[in-house]
Amino acid sequence: MADIYKKPITFAVLSAVVVLVGTIATMAYPLLRADMHPKVEGLVPLPALALAGRDVYQREGCVSCHTQTVRPLPSEVVRYGGNKAAAPGGQYSVAGEFAYDHPFLWGSKRTGPDLAFEGWIKPAGWHLAHFTDPQKVVPQSNMPSYAFLKDQSIDGVALQAHMRALRSVGVPYTDAQIAAAPAEVQGKTDLDGLVAYTVSLGKAVDRSGGAALASDVALATPNPKTHDRTTIKQGHKLFAANCAACHGDEAEGQEGVAPSLVDDTFLGVKGDLPDAAYFLMVKNGSDAKKGLGRPGVPDGGMSSFAKDLSDDDIWSVIVYLRARKAHEAAEGE
Amino acid sequence: MTTDYRYDHQTVQGFILSAIFWGVVGILVGLLISVQLWHPAANLAPYLTYGRLRPVHTNSLAFGLGVGAIFGLSFWIVMRLCKRPLLFPRLARLQLWLFNVGIAAAAVTLAMGYTQSNEYAELEWPLDIAIVVLWVMFAVNVFGTIIKRREEQMYVSLWYIIATVVAVAVLYLVNNLAVPAGLWKSYHVFAGVNSANVEWWYGHNAVGFVFTTPILAMFYYFLPKATGLPIFSHRLSIVAFWSLIFAYLWTGAHLLVYTPVPDWLQTLAIVFTVFLIAPSWGSVVNGYYTVGQDWSKMRSSYLTKFFVLGITFYGLQTVQGPTQALRVVSQLIHYTDWVPGHVHMGTMGWVALTVTASVYYVIPRIYGTEIFSEKLANVHFWLVLVGQLLFSITMWITGIRQGWMWKATDAEGHLTYRNFTETLAGNYPFWQVRTLAGVIFTVGMLFFVYNVLMTIRKGRAVQAAEALQPSPAVTAA
Repeated sequence: MADIYKKPITFAVLSAVVVLVGTIATMAYPLLRADMHPKVEGLVPLPALALAGRDVYQREGCVSCHTQTVRPLPSEVVRYGGNKAAAPGGQYSVAGEFAYDHPFLWGSKRTGPDLAFEGWIKPAGWHLAHFTDPQKVVPQSNMPSYAFLKDQSIDGVALQAHMRALRSVGVPYTDAQIAAAPAEVQGKTDLDGLVAYTVSLGKAVDRSGGAALASDVALATPNPKTHDRTTIKQGHKLFAANCAACHGDEAEGQEGVAPSLVDDTFLGVKGDLPDAAYFLMVKNGSDAKKGLGRPGVPDGGMSSFAKDLSDDDIWSVIVYLRARKAHEAAEGE
Repeated sequence: MTTDYRYDHQTVQGFILSAIFWGVVGILVGLLISVQLWHPAANLAPYLTYGRLRPVHTNSLAFGLGVGAIFGLSFWIVMRLCKRPLLFPRLARLQLWLFNVGIAAAAVTLAMGYTQSNEYAELEWPLDIAIVVLWVMFAVNVFGTIIKRREEQMYVSLWYIIATVVAVAVLYLVNNLAVPAGLWKSYHVFAGVNSANVEWWYGHNAVGFVFTTPILAMFYYFLPKATGLPIFSHRLSIVAFWSLIFAYLWTGAHLLVYTPVPDWLQTLAIVFTVFLIAPSWGSVVNGYYTVGQDWSKMRSSYLTKFFVLGITFYGLQTVQGPTQALRVVSQLIHYTDWVPGHVHMGTMGWVALTVTASVYYVIPRIYGTEIFSEKLANVHFWLVLVGQLLFSITMWITGIRQGWMWKATDAEGHLTYRNFTETLAGNYPFWQVRTLAGVIFTVGMLFFVYNVLMTIRKGRAVQAAEALQPSPAVTAA
């Protein structure tokens, strides 16, 4: 045995064998196991625009500062909003969500927050404003501005090559999807793509809380909260914490992000609707627009605040908004 | 005799100077990104944003400084231990040029955003091919020279170099399996949990076989050389070597604790990671007992303290690492600044001290002279030591602080710090201290660079003077 220290070839072969034992056991063998190849039901590949956005996410090194995996720890599940999910599996990241992720983008450092469930947390308008000028939206943030992405348009032909490459390793893009890709990204910028990708995150699993979300109140339902000072104050506080980032500090709206809530239009149509309409929008997000028969902002994605605000909270915010609106109207006269 | 080696020594020096150049680049980029973390306006242009520069920092230090020094110093060690020049001297020189072209291309393409997104394997496929070619060139020379050696027994350092050549080849080839989607774009062939598991099998072993085994080869060779003391225990070297290269490959998934990777794989990795303390400390104990034969060397031989502190940080690193792998610790510190604190103790402590000491040993001997200034080397030592300690300790504190804030909940399970930004903004003062630590470290390294350059200058003067007189070797002949 002592002889191997005199025989370099034998020594190299033996080293290779020793190195390969752990390699086979923990790298190669798992590749063959079924528990390493799960897929959540209904998983679909990213649409063309979101895939272009994922390429931008990779190019800009977003993975240096953002993770994309929510761990099964109570505090983490609460922070990233998986707490009201219907099934326990939906509360944190599950392997089957990532079956089409080449490569995985879980990251190793959380300088900024985890983004695994971002599609359930912030709407597209918020991201658009935030990418353009992060400190305007989150004053203490250290995120660089990505306004320059607005000047770069997506190359539809290159994107088709990306889709074909992904198909060759098992992402089921159809010929029709690949053919349609250039048209889908026509005129879109890298920023549009990045926003589309960001709001797609976590959507492979329903983390909406299921039944808790399908809230329906009749439009005629009156606001149970009274218009007193305490309620207005409470509503103001909640508004500042949850709504002001998009709708502005005084609910005056932000160009290209979110509409004013104190002018004379509501969801793109002149004329107001009762408090219950506001309630449905806050509770259910943009999905409520259909029921209300109004178009709203075209790409507008207001997210549901069902997980952040109790019913009581939402009614208080509406009381505050009514007071604000009355104030604006009085000033206008 | 010295003339036989002159050409190869120039190649070794070329690798050392290249490594120093890329090291300075990597350190300066590191300083810039450390500022960007607390001053976002320092993200000056798209190609100078944090997201693109972080891989430039890690790649130029791991592959530029680290691998450059490994190439140069391994050639030196191989020649000495085989008692002969390199078997293919021109191939080594070609490797030197290709290495510099490759690292330059790596820095440029990463700043342009061409990346595979896998940590320490960011480079896109054309550069991956170049790196494979480089590694084959290195392997051919190392194996060729060892096979044709003039000393029957292979010393410990050669074992570590052989293991490095073999393991890096396996790791790099597998993890860089990607399907090209354009000249500068490709996708990992593995998806999701497999992509993660393969990447961290690679990623942690890149630490094992770039920042550990070749550095141990230097340690086992240059420590006895610098002190004149033989390695304490040959038997311990053997046990530590085989158990280290066996256990390392099982540990990758300890970076994936609490992710969707199956629990059994995480647990297996944690178990082997804890076991890894034993072989790591085998080398630590061997190093301590070697110097323990005569502690006065700490005073009389200026390089001794570099090696002793280097192996000390290696020892601390290899206890801290396994601790972090434990689930109870991981859930608190994973994803926080604790981890960069850990990594930088290994790189700025163990690797930087061992490599710079080895360079201090080699450069004067190329010219048959002495180091330009031991005093400057001592200043370098203390600045690097203080900078690294300040860096790591600050990062550990901020890591625990932020990890705790993320977890803090009241009795009903509501988060105490609901807004993520609250937990972030408190990092800024710590990150400013980290930048200060980086500046101290950088100044220390600049003393090193100056000292090396002045030694070369002094050596060239000595050579020029010798050239004017008939050399003693010629007269003797």
